[in-house]
Amino acid sequence: MSSSMSLRGLSQLSLDAVSRSAIPTRSLMIAPQASCFSTSAARYANPTMKKKGMGAAPKKGVKSLRITKSNKDAAGSGKRPAPGERKAMRKRIVLSNDNALEVAGLQDLTAENALDASHQGKVRGIPEEAVDALRAVEAFKPRQGWSLFRRPAVLMRKETMELAQIMKKIESSEKSKKESKRIIVYGERMGGKSTLLLQGITMAFLRKWTIINLPEGQDIVNAHTDYAPLPGSQPLQYTQDTYTAGLLSQIVKANQGFLAATKVSAKHDLPLPLSKGATLKQLAELGAANPEAAWPVFVALWTELTQPGRPPILVGVDGLSHIMRESEYLNSNVKPIHAHDLTIVRHFVDLFSGKTALPNGGLVLGVTSGSNSPANSAIELSIAGAEARQSKSALPQWNPYKAIDQRAVECLKNVDVLKVSGISKEEARSIMDYYAESGVLRAQVNEGFVSERWSLAGMGNIGELERATVRLRV
Amino acid sequence: MFRRRRLSSGGAARGVFIFGFNFPEQSLVKRSLETFYGIGPKVSQSIMARFHIHPWAKVGTLKNSTVLDLTAELSNMKIENDLRREVQENIRRLKDMGSYRGRRHAMGLPVRGQRTRSQITTARKLNKIERGGQGRVQM
Repeated sequence: MSSSMSLRGLSQLSLDAVSRSAIPTRSLMIAPQASCFSTSAARYANPTMKKKGMGAAPKKGVKSLRITKSNKDAAGSGKRPAPGERKAMRKRIVLSNDNALEVAGLQDLTAENALDASHQGKVRGIPEEAVDALRAVEAFKPRQGWSLFRRPAVLMRKETMELAQIMKKIESSEKSKKESKRIIVYGERMGGKSTLLLQGITMAFLRKWTIINLPEGQDIVNAHTDYAPLPGSQPLQYTQDTYTAGLLSQIVKANQGFLAATKVSAKHDLPLPLSKGATLKQLAELGAANPEAAWPVFVALWTELTQPGRPPILVGVDGLSHIMRESEYLNSNVKPIHAHDLTIVRHFVDLFSGKTALPNGGLVLGVTSGSNSPANSAIELSIAGAEARQSKSALPQWNPYKAIDQRAVECLKNVDVLKVSGISKEEARSIMDYYAESGVLRAQVNEGFVSERWSLAGMGNIGELERATVRLRV
Repeated sequence: MFRRRRLSSGGAARGVFIFGFNFPEQSLVKRSLETFYGIGPKVSQSIMARFHIHPWAKVGTLKNSTVLDLTAELSNMKIENDLRREVQENIRRLKDMGSYRGRRHAMGLPVRGQRTRSQITTARKLNKIERGGQGRVQM
């Protein structure tokens, strides 16, 4: 018996009981109320008003798992970022923090003292105009901690002083036989390799060198910019017009003073007309504005920069292992193009291997990356070889079971290396004092604290040290 | 053949014509090529490599000469309705012979001996005499 049936039976019973009772009691008054038990309202209710979900499940099942978002949902969830907005956010570089304190005794690097050995182990500020140049050549990386401090400053560590020493030597070499140096910078992840390149660029800028920086090797070879075969090249090379134009505009921004003050001296074969007596700046801007002429302009600019009497040149590349392998570009036979067949990379590689000389002296820095670098046994081999040469031990053997890029091996044969390892405890003390004076480290910096954090940072890995002291608050 | 030339008056519809079809300037070349019946990832890659178009190139950045080259290349290939016609003729031949494969095509059932107890949606979808549909321009 269903529950409604039993209810009806009950109400019937109670009505019977009322009718049978002869005594007019208060129960009569109750009698009409007894009809409350009536189920007619429920029985005559509109049959269309059925409760949902009461019927059997559909035979073929229901689609309850919705993986794809409907358009309505997407439209309702706020404004979508404009094209390029997310990338701009990702690449944004913040170089100051108004909440950090001004460090009282912070000295700046200057043109005169940039290469002095007295900076060893001190934190030095980067002057305003150098910051602009560094920003222009993309030497600051988004992952570095510049946004924590009032203004950009760097620790002049042992490796920096080595680099400064090398630059000093290049500057003081004889006019007839200018020296040039080619160095691979390598070391642990977050060890400060890119920052060392930044310091090198800073010093070069202050010493009025010409700066050409390829900020990220991956961007050259990952086939995100256009390419075209270079007519008349043997073996065939490929130009990257848009990338080269961008590079030219970076060169203009980073070397404003020198390029604007120097006139074009040689005759160049350019696809576009250049006014007589134009400056190098106008030449470079011509290439930056017209990507189709960018490569001939770059070649012309390079010829100008290597004329006798011009300043030394610093050429840097970050992410070396990307340009020592095959690129993502395809040739007309759908085979990958080797990175060394791209004109920009080829230009750098020729400098790096010593095939093209730097007549006015200079420094070529190839910086490996710890976080974004494909395995590259050619670089590993050349680093091992250079280490063995420096320590006068037996040269390493190439492992025949490892794939190795012969062209990269050729290029990296006689290159020096500079290892960026952990900083010493004195250097750690100096940088931690700077953190504390900036107000981002709220602890008493004493010997015990420094040793603890130095050890926590894996024997003074500077990136880890920053993480352990400033970013991570326990 | 089936080229649709729509001459835009006063630049109302912005876009680039490849093989007679209009593509918006901001669309990828790779994607645009793969809209044609008979061009998939491999073929589009080889075409783009032949004309030195990088994989992320947008249609709007192509030079006029490259667009013309692409159109010339595509008109030498068996794509779109030519390819549809060939495939359909092959199926029709099987059916006209009275072969088992032809019959299975006509019935929309698996052709190559798969079981039919369950899961034959792909066969239902694809195995038809008029395989490949009518095309963007009626055959």
